[in-house]
Amino acid sequence: MHPLDSRADDGAVTVSTSDSEITMNASTAVASATACPSVSEASGGDAFALTAPHSPTQMRVTKRNGRSESVDLAKIVRAVTRSAEDLHAVDPMRVALKTIGGIYDGASTRELDELSIRTAAALTAEEPEYGFLAARLLASYIDKEVSGQEIQSYSQSVARGAELGIINERLRDFVALNARKLNDAIDPLATRRFEYFGLRTVYDRYLLRHPEQRKVIETPQYFFMRVACALGGGHLGETLELYRLLSALEYVPSSPSLFNAGTAHEQLSSCFLLDSPLDSLESIYDKYADVAKLSKYAGGIGLSYSRVRSRGSLIRGTNGHSNGLVPWLKTLDASVAAVNQGGKRKGAACVYLETWHADIEEFLELRDNTGDDARRTHNLNLANWIPDEFMRRVEADGEWSLFDPKRVPQLVDLWGADFDTAYRQAEADGLAARTIKARELYARMLRTLAQTGNGWMTFKDRCNATSNQTARPGNVIHLSNLCTEILEVTSDQETAVCNLGSINLARHVRDGAFDFAQLAATVAIALRQLDRVIDLNFYPIDTAAAANRKWRPVGLGVMGLQDVFFQLRLAFDSAESQALSAQIAEHIYFHALEQSCALAAALGAHPGFAETRAARGELQFDHWPNARASIAVAHWDALRARIRDSGLRNSLLIAIAPTATIASIAGCYECIEPQVSNLFKRETLSGDFLVINRYLVEELKTLGLWTAEVRDAIKQAEGSIQGIAAIPERLREIYRTVWELPQKALIDHAAARGAFIDQSQSLNLFQENPNIGRLSSMYMYAWKAGIKTTYYLRSRPATRIAKTTLGIAVAGTPAAPSAPEATSAVVCSLENPEYCEACQ
Amino acid sequence: MSAQPPFKKQHLLDPGFELTLRPMRYPQFYEMYRAAIRNTWTVEEVDFAPDVNDLKSKMSPAERHLVHRLIAFFATGDSIVSNNLVLNLYTHINAPEARMYLSRQLYEEALHVQFYLTLLDTYLPDPEERNRAFAAIENIPSIRRKAEFCFRWIDSVQDLKRLETRAQRRQFLLNLICFACCIEGLFFFAAFAYVYFLRSRGLLHGLASGTNWVFRDESGHMAFAFEAIRCVREEEPGLFDADMQGQVVEMLEEAIQCEIAFAEDVLGGGVAGISPRDMRQYLEYCADQRFAQLGMPRQYGASNPFDFMQLQDVQEVTNFFERRVSAYQVGVQGEVGFDEAF
Repeated sequence: MHPLDSRADDGAVTVSTSDSEITMNASTAVASATACPSVSEASGGDAFALTAPHSPTQMRVTKRNGRSESVDLAKIVRAVTRSAEDLHAVDPMRVALKTIGGIYDGASTRELDELSIRTAAALTAEEPEYGFLAARLLASYIDKEVSGQEIQSYSQSVARGAELGIINERLRDFVALNARKLNDAIDPLATRRFEYFGLRTVYDRYLLRHPEQRKVIETPQYFFMRVACALGGGHLGETLELYRLLSALEYVPSSPSLFNAGTAHEQLSSCFLLDSPLDSLESIYDKYADVAKLSKYAGGIGLSYSRVRSRGSLIRGTNGHSNGLVPWLKTLDASVAAVNQGGKRKGAACVYLETWHADIEEFLELRDNTGDDARRTHNLNLANWIPDEFMRRVEADGEWSLFDPKRVPQLVDLWGADFDTAYRQAEADGLAARTIKARELYARMLRTLAQTGNGWMTFKDRCNATSNQTARPGNVIHLSNLCTEILEVTSDQETAVCNLGSINLARHVRDGAFDFAQLAATVAIALRQLDRVIDLNFYPIDTAAAANRKWRPVGLGVMGLQDVFFQLRLAFDSAESQALSAQIAEHIYFHALEQSCALAAALGAHPGFAETRAARGELQFDHWPNARASIAVAHWDALRARIRDSGLRNSLLIAIAPTATIASIAGCYECIEPQVSNLFKRETLSGDFLVINRYLVEELKTLGLWTAEVRDAIKQAEGSIQGIAAIPERLREIYRTVWELPQKALIDHAAARGAFIDQSQSLNLFQENPNIGRLSSMYMYAWKAGIKTTYYLRSRPATRIAKTTLGIAVAGTPAAPSAPEATSAVVCSLENPEYCEACQ
Repeated sequence: MSAQPPFKKQHLLDPGFELTLRPMRYPQFYEMYRAAIRNTWTVEEVDFAPDVNDLKSKMSPAERHLVHRLIAFFATGDSIVSNNLVLNLYTHINAPEARMYLSRQLYEEALHVQFYLTLLDTYLPDPEERNRAFAAIENIPSIRRKAEFCFRWIDSVQDLKRLETRAQRRQFLLNLICFACCIEGLFFFAAFAYVYFLRSRGLLHGLASGTNWVFRDESGHMAFAFEAIRCVREEEPGLFDADMQGQVVEMLEEAIQCEIAFAEDVLGGGVAGISPRDMRQYLEYCADQRFAQLGMPRQYGASNPFDFMQLQDVQEVTNFFERRVSAYQVGVQGEVGFDEAF
């Protein structure tokens, strides 16, 4: 007799308990009793015959106005056909039939619409045009929702928002004044540029909703116009220019700007960088409050903790010993999780710690999923703020001393040679808490990266040495931000802020070449918009307002670099790609400086200009010995001269953010990254969708290779096409995934481009099966290449889920390969693509 | 317990408790054990907060019914698998490296039970409701029927202390096939399909992300079982004869029947986008895959009706603002060096 039998015996008495109660709470029990009478019968005895046979012909749906009518196939086909105009590969009947097959008797037309959208979306992997169909069906669904609330135009949408108290007066008045022109400028067809994923994201999270009914009160085009009006500086011409740029998906401001532009709480900035709390209880608790206030309005937080004393340090007030950083960070972790960014997304923060802090080892364990949970922070991201001295000692296999900041408070505010001297002096003075092998700590840092993706490697000295803001002593960068692309000075009085926006490079290719003239125009509009945000912005804390007025930094970035390479048929790691990417960065930097200088001439330089390197005529690429400029030196020299004369409106201009969500909206690959796979799913709060490399599909269609077999093969190989012999080698080279590219190429790209990036870039690195030897080589190379910051280390799971939807022979779950086997499987499939035992 | 002398050629189902690891007879099981360890996850990493909101405000009573039934099934299902593992598999699969894998599997099953326990506690705050759900086997006929199916197969080998005869080995093999093909390969696969269906609609991400990890583990368990079956057949080719194949076909058909009854219960309230009819087709499709894995002809010729299942076949890219990435590895090896290619 096995253990469960006894339970079954005891329980036989209670079988009569109504099942339906388990599934419903009291408030909905009445409604559900009519909706599913069969459920309550379950307890009656006839346990298994519960649902009436499925017969679509007799089914009825409930319309939005409450009336019921029978399901009409022709009507659904007509609706789908209307949206499928120009989509020649789409079969409307197929979508309609599948939709009807999934409906149940008594469903609402709303459910019917939702189902047809999902049905179309699910076919995207087979034919990308179904994704566009899904997007159009969704667009008309949104239109119905908006117009169903008596909102027929853009100006009505804004007026309604103002009545409801979610739109601010500035926007309301501007729109009221220019209503006709703005309404005329709305281009409903522009919504067709969205892919399904992008539009879904916009609908689920970005469109303004009625505070009680939760229905959206703006269409996607009203949304873009709202952002343009709010950030257009009150000029109609600039507003319409900006709207055109947005609706063409050529440039997208950061999420906080999209969420909040023109609203009652206009917090438009993406990133906040907070200096470390001072080494006191009061300061630590004040910092929690700052973090919570900033998180509330959709900002990502970077926070240093390097000034706080380490474990075992004496506390004079109580004559006890400190428990170190971990308990404080545990509290921070809970605080960050508690603050939900207006229900839009969870708060997020990254804690930076200098490599000499005596709690560094405990810090590196904060994200482990084993060990004492009281010493784990599952919500915090972690980053290492690494001095060059550490990397040098790693290279020389030297010792590394760890200090309690209470005994060496000066180290936090020093960098470069001053830091090196002070650090060695502290060692000589015997102040170290402990001394360990530098390589041991380095290996530990890398292990944390490999096991958690966290513990980002950022290089303190390089960040300070190349920054426009650090010309004077006392102006020190103490950390980067949540995504490691922002580098700005902080102090106890200054909280750094940055406003971001990204140019979609995918939409700057014309007739088989990159269009630098279009890029220049985009940069000009984007930069003026970003600069305006500084004045418009609502600052949740005073130290942020103070810093932003002094420095006026902005972060203009890019996305869709991979799209450019696909469009131009360049392999990611080719010399041409690297040169083009650097050239694009140079042009953006040039035109951004030019625009900021023009703004300074008109409105005045930012108040901190005299403290910057630019005031001395130094620009970013002066710090990069290997920089290769493509714009003539004479142009650069003329620009330098103008900057010396007029100054700059903004101390910092360029930062390449990860663009995770806005790249989805724009339908392009993220920031500067290679593709992760030719076929992958995206998980977001709005559900999971299949994303497919549409460039590859086009190429394969041209070659007559877009077949069920090829699709299955791509799926089986997790989105790789390297093992598919039928695909020409040249295409296979272009369509490699990031797992198949040498990471050296990513670092070389970043270094070549870095000469024109005055802040930094969110540089992810990828290793399928990381090991310490490879990682230590990779990060040492990155440091030597002059990379300022790196971001996640991405790896892949060691075992995989069984594939459920593939053809027969491949359905078996392969035994999870160990690291060497996985590598040999790749090699094998490259050499022997037809048949490979290791891959089955 | 007595170790066999190592010089005698041994088979996987020979009775006893072999202790010798070198030379290793089945290194594949050891590799599976190591791979499983690299994929360690914990329930604490799963964020259930959005689920509670979904259940309260986004889902219809019929959908909530579906969810509660599912969780109730999972919570008991994994316990049943654990019991069979301890009572039967661990006893009879006689290779220390295979038992290492089974020990790891046992831990994973406990982890899954913990996951679903935490889910039920979170989803059902009312203690009365909670108790009823935990007593799923007694209270819910459609779950009871599945459980009885499992018990019958556990009981079928309960009296076997040692596998001495060919008939006994066949008896055991049928138990192994039942757990791999029917319980993990059909019952769990169907349950995962409901979860992925909900996720494809943007619902219950906590459940879905945990289920992702559970699914990954279960995929490993099935891979182990099929590999064990393959080894046994290789070692004793005549064992898997026509008679036995007939029994396997019957067994899978009965499992499908149980699962269909469950589908009619869980979908009883009417859920747009998924019907018992689709589920039957999906089960037949899965069953065909199991037959193929056993090297048998397909019985149903069904195709996959669930487009949303494609989603879980492809790799995930998670935006860290939104969800925890589940792809990192534990147990990274190696020494610091500066001249490796990367």
